[in-house]
Amino acid sequence: MTNETNETEWIKLAQEGNQAAFGRLVGAYQTPVYNLAYRMLGNAGEAEDAAQETFLRAYTHLHSYDPLRPFRSWLLSIASHYCIDQLRRRRITWLSFEDEIAAPERLASDSPNPEAMVAQREREEQVQQLLAVLSPTDRAAITLRYWYDCSYEEIAETLSLTVSAIKSRLHRARHSLARTMEGETDNAL
Amino acid sequence: MRCKQAGEMMSARLDGRLDNTEVALLKDHLAGCSACQAEWHRLQALDSLLASAPMMHAPVRLRVHVMARLNRREQARRAIIGGTALALGTVALALLALAPILLGLLDTTGIAPALVSGGPETIVQLLALLGAVSRALLVLAEKFAVPLTFLGLFSLAMALVLNSLWIGAVRRLRAA
Repeated sequence: MTNETNETEWIKLAQEGNQAAFGRLVGAYQTPVYNLAYRMLGNAGEAEDAAQETFLRAYTHLHSYDPLRPFRSWLLSIASHYCIDQLRRRRITWLSFEDEIAAPERLASDSPNPEAMVAQREREEQVQQLLAVLSPTDRAAITLRYWYDCSYEEIAETLSLTVSAIKSRLHRARHSLARTMEGETDNAL
Repeated sequence: MRCKQAGEMMSARLDGRLDNTEVALLKDHLAGCSACQAEWHRLQALDSLLASAPMMHAPVRLRVHVMARLNRREQARRAIIGGTALALGTVALALLALAPILLGLLDTTGIAPALVSGGPETIVQLLALLGAVSRALLVLAEKFAVPLTFLGLFSLAMALVLNSLWIGAVRRLRAA
């Protein structure tokens, strides 16, 4: 039985109230959902809460899931909208930089080399600092493009926007990030 | 081509959304525009940085926590449905106890005895008992000037409705 067949079966069982089947779906998608939340919220604790909330919402609304749509896309859509809401609700009192990048659980490509780990961590901090510059929706668009290799059409469907809006947002976000990155490099020199 | 258009094409180029003609146009523009060339280099550096950032693994406890929260929520949901069913059932039974008022009305109007004249003796005895209870209730109701016909019909109707709701809630609880 292929993974896709397994997934279809798990979804069907979960829709009938089988929690064990839903647990398998959580196991299969916990990293994509967590990574999206982490990239959006920039904080490991909040990302974990958001991932939990995403799965609970998915379970509640599982009856409305359209099997013609990829399950990952449906799940990421719930996660994206939840994280966008969370970011909009955040107060002006910003978290300190240390909190913003508070130790993610672990990177997907853990390296035993300490120097490589330090370099990777620095790059990671830079990435999160850059993402924090963007508006919640632009941040979601960039995250879906780079970490999930989503097409414009997929991003548009996930964020409930038009393809032209996504194209425009990616363009604007990239130029904004590039300018910010250059500013950081200049300051570091 | 203007710089603004070139800027839009740069982003599309990074996503592989330009055809060969558009790529050639962009290259021509970059060759003659140092500002756009610098921007293109910045965008490429950004693209490399983002593309090299890995997926963050979810904590191993995430699945356990999700399932635990799901369990707690399901238990709470069942408790609410069960509690509601119990409350509705209790109210329904209490209202059913008022049904003898209606029977009392039937009794006093002489309809009930006619209905059960040929029935088994036990039914007659039961009706007599209910009649006695209802007469007592009638006295109370008259004292408080309650319209008896309305009260009897209303209590029966409510009992039926609440019993239906009760049965529905219990069925739902069992299915959950």
